[in-house]
This record gives sequence, structure tokens and C-alpha cells, in this order.
Amino acid sequence: MDPSTAARPVIETDALVKVYPGDITALGGLTLNVAPGITGLIGANGAGKSTLIKVLLGLLPPTQGAAKVLGRDCVREGEQIRQLVGYMPEHDCLPPDISATEFVTHMGRMSGIPATAAKERAAEALRHVGLHEERYRQIGTYSTGMKQRVKLAQALAGDPRLLLLDEPTNGLDPAGRNAMLELIERIGEEFGISIMVASHLLGEIERICDGLVAIEAGRLLRADTVDSFTKASQMLVIEVEEGTAALLDELVRRGLEPRPYQRALLVPIGGDDTYDAVRDSVASLGLPLSRLEQRRHQVEELFRDDDQLEAVDVS
Amino acid sequence: MSVDTSPGVPGGPGARAGGNRTGVIHDLGYQRYDGPRLGRRRIIAALTWHSFRAAFGFGRGPKAKIMPVIAILALCLPAVINAFAMSQGNAQLVNYDVYNATLRILIMTLFVAVQAPELVSRDIRSRVLPLYFSRPIRSGDYPLAKYLAFTAACLVMMEVPLLVLYGGSIANVHGGAAVWAQTRALIPGLLIGLMWSVVLAAISLFLASLTGRRAFATGTVAIFFLLTFTLAEILLQVEHQNVIDHAQPANGPLAAPTASLAEKVSGLFSPFTLFDGVGRWLGGTTPSLLVPKPGGFGAVYALVLVAITVACLAGLFTRYNRKARMS
Repeated sequence: MDPSTAARPVIETDALVKVYPGDITALGGLTLNVAPGITGLIGANGAGKSTLIKVLLGLLPPTQGAAKVLGRDCVREGEQIRQLVGYMPEHDCLPPDISATEFVTHMGRMSGIPATAAKERAAEALRHVGLHEERYRQIGTYSTGMKQRVKLAQALAGDPRLLLLDEPTNGLDPAGRNAMLELIERIGEEFGISIMVASHLLGEIERICDGLVAIEAGRLLRADTVDSFTKASQMLVIEVEEGTAALLDELVRRGLEPRPYQRALLVPIGGDDTYDAVRDSVASLGLPLSRLEQRRHQVEELFRDDDQLEAVDVS
Repeated sequence: MSVDTSPGVPGGPGARAGGNRTGVIHDLGYQRYDGPRLGRRRIIAALTWHSFRAAFGFGRGPKAKIMPVIAILALCLPAVINAFAMSQGNAQLVNYDVYNATLRILIMTLFVAVQAPELVSRDIRSRVLPLYFSRPIRSGDYPLAKYLAFTAACLVMMEVPLLVLYGGSIANVHGGAAVWAQTRALIPGLLIGLMWSVVLAAISLFLASLTGRRAFATGTVAIFFLLTFTLAEILLQVEHQNVIDHAQPANGPLAAPTASLAEKVSGLFSPFTLFDGVGRWLGGTTPSLLVPKPGGFGAVYALVLVAITVACLAGLFTRYNRKARMS
């Protein structure tokens, strides 16, 4: 990454604390620096992702600490930030009884784009998200995937410098998830818009992100580039319909380090050899293979894995 | 991907400038918006206009227009009948300050009960509010725009029939003095319309903002106005009867009884009787069917109206302030 441009973070927080009434701590001293590009914000539900987004948008005053978005202070310059930032919420947020064009045009106007330009931008934003043909249909008739695209289009309508996407793949089937992730990747790379994607599925978004930030209980757990973040946790999941024990032995014999995980086996991926070894093991035992995939991590599992790795190191 | 002529490293921040220029070759690419950005005031104005149109079903399906159109036609009916009657040589049937009291109360209740939820409950229901709050406006700007829009919409409902009445009347009178008399009578009528609009919009928007369920919102608003009006009417009748009974111990000729305090207090219970009381207090000449002449008590009517309006607006703004943080 080019250090001269990376030097200016799009998001900076400094010991950010948010305590809700009733002494509920959503953010407990979060310090972050998010570089331009696509960044994943990883955290389990309730880790403070949505609170962080609200603070960044200047909607929620932090209890302590400071936050800056695109160099502007979140408390004092919220309006300016909101002019430069597009936000896609996690939940449904679309009125069913108007067309996508009308809705995105209206939301563009609400970002301060004059009427005519807002219309043009709405048509363009909907084309970019792949809804050009259906844009005059009422939103209520759309599939979940199409609605997610409208949500993304309305965030693009105001020509943002930064997009905050909260769980953009929520409710989508695997094909829809892939399409949405490709779209986000394209917006980040080709449109030159920095993006922060909040998700609880690390395995899902890691492939489109340049950097990752993991938070837990309102604190920074880890912030790094994707490579260093996931190196230690690449796993292959192998599930056979029978003979799991035999396969375990065979894999150990071939120098791998398998461990049982539910009905399957987890094997740390060392390189291409790992795949070959697994293939050969299964083939030599003649076992009925029912699943072989790279592990999609949920964040909780990632950290559990880390703990185990550390435990191994100690021993 | 191989067609990409961008010299920059894809995915790096360097693509920011490249995406625009090189993308044009095979695709229109992403267009930056370089034009002027409207400030907060202009955004509020845009939202106000959008909501005002929505109050009459514009920008919605054809079904959404049915209710407002019927409502305004119904409200104009007395004015049309009046114009016809006057053209036949009859005296003016309908006046500007009271208009047709029953019809106006009924239709305006209907209008605010159906259209206030259209402006606010719908956005709560579809959970679109966070999108508004993520725009460069403040949390109070959304309810402000809704309130301005709905006041204007109520104003249209109130004033258009009066203007039709005015048009129909001056077409049938002769001489500048008669036209001037009509104009002078119209102005207080228009002001009363403004009073209705300012208050009705505040109450109905606040009540509608309590729920995202449109049917509930409509029910809440309608029940509030009808129930309070019925209550005030019953109390007024009871108290008025008391006054008559006390004023006439013997079977003497019907003397105009002075209203009792209880009768005046009865008028406090409904916005519509309050409107009437304030109108009469400020010099409305038409004998009203609703409230007795308030005299100095009219100030209390005015005060209560102001208090209700302020309370409803405070409630409305507080709700959206909370929603901006919590949504």
C-alpha cells in the first residue's frame, strides 16, 4: 500500500467510549485508524459495530474520546460528514409502495443534490448496482437481493467519499452474497470510494477487504491487513459420511494436524500440499467425501482458534 | 480485467483518479458529482415540498389521491351551493368564519386522520428514518419539514373552499362596496383557517408519529378528535340546558341567557370548540352553534390552543430526536 496516501486515515477514533443509559457500555475505549480502501469491521452481534457507525455519522455523541471521519470531527462537524458519507443500514429501510428510481432520487435530494442531478444520479446508481431494467417497479415487488441493491444505490446517490455498510449481505443466499460482495469490491476499486463493511462473518468479507478491524465488547481486538489477519486461521473443513476416525489417523500419518470439529475435521492449510494430502488420504481410504471447503469463520470461532493456538504455543 | 488500461495498482487508493478516466473507454464508469450541493435549508425545503405533495397523494399511486380529492370536493360543496343560491337571487347562505361547521369538522378530522399517517407513520413503518438522519440535516429538521408541509396541506383544505365561496359570492354581488364587504369578511375567515391548520397539523402529526402502523395511527387521530368533540358537545349541551333552566324559573319569554362558567369551560375540551371560542372572542360575528360567547374567557381558549400546539410539537420533536439516536 502506498504510504503517502495511507498516511491519511478515513476514520480515526481515539479512546472512544460510549455508555448508554443504564451503564451499558457499547464502546469501551476504542482507538482505530482506518486507511483508505475497503476495510472490514468484524465483530459479533453486540460488539459495538452499529454504535460505532452512529458515532461516526455524528448521530450519537460519544461519552468520552474523539472520532474523526475524513478529517472532520464527529461531534462538531456531523453535517459535513453526513454529506460525504453514504450509509447502508443493516435492517430493511425501504418504503414498499414507490419505485426504486423515485426513492433513490429522493434520497439523493436529501443529500443535497439538486432535483435534476439527483434524477440522473439515481438512474446511474441503480445501473451500477444492476437494477437498470427494474428501476421503475415498486420496491415492494423486489426480491431481498434487489432490495439490498437499492439500499446500496441510495447510499451512492449522494456521491460519497466513504461508504459505511452495515451487514450488506444480510438475508442473502450464497449467490446473492457473492454478487453483493463483488459489487462492493467494484465500488471500492473502480469507483475509488473508501468503504467500511461491518460484518460478523469474517470468512465472507475477508476476500474483498484490504484491511480488517476486529472489535469485541466495544474494544479493538486486532487491526491489520487481511493477509496477516487470516494467515493463522486458514482451515480446511473435511467431512466424510463415514470413517472419520480412519481419516484422522491417515491425515496425521501424512504430517497434517487435523482436529475434530463437530462432525467434520479441521486441517490447518499449510499450502497447496495440504490439499493434495487431503485428496490422497480420502482417495486411498475410499471414503465418501461429502464436504471439502475452506473454512468460513465466524468471528467468535476465529478468536477461539487463536486462544487454542496460543495455548499450543505455551505448551 | 485484461482490457483495463489503468496504470495504477487496482484496489489501491491510486485507483481513485484512474477509475474515472480510463473507465470511459469501455463503460460510462462512475461519475463524480461536481455540481453545487444544497445546504440544510434547501434540503428541508425539498423534504417539505415532497411531503406536501404526499399529503395529496402526489408521488404515490392513484389510490392515494382518492381521499384528498373527495375531501376537498366535499368541503367545496357548500361554497358551490352558495354560489348557485346567490345566482338565483337568494341571500348568502354560508359565511366565511364558520363556513359549514359540521361538514368542516367531519372532513378535516377525516383528512388529518388519513393523511398525517401518510406523512409520518409510513416512514416509521418502513424504517426509512435512519436514512434521513444519515443525511446532512439535523434530527429536528425532519419533523420540522413534515409539520410545515402538513400545515400547508391543511391550509389548502381550509382556504380553497373559502376562496371558492369568495369567488362565487363576488360574482353575484354588484358594486365595489359589496365586493369590499365580501373581502373584509373573507380575511378573518382565512385567518381562522390558518389557526385550524397550525393546530390540527401539530396534534395529528404528533399522534400519528406514535405508531408505525397506519391503521392504528388513523384510528388514534380520528378517535382523539371525534371523542373530544363529542365530549365537549355533550358537556356544552348539558351546561347550556342548566343555564336556560336557571334563567327561566317562570315561563317567561325566552331571554338570551348569559353563559355560565361551566358552559364556557365545557368548550375547552375539543380543538374544534376552542377554534370557535377563539374566533368569537376575536370578534367573530356569526352566531355559532358550538360555544357560547366567551367574553374574557376567550383568552383562556386561546391559551389552551397555544398550549396544546406547543405540547404536541414538543412531543413530535422529542420523538424524532430520540429516533435519530436510537434508530
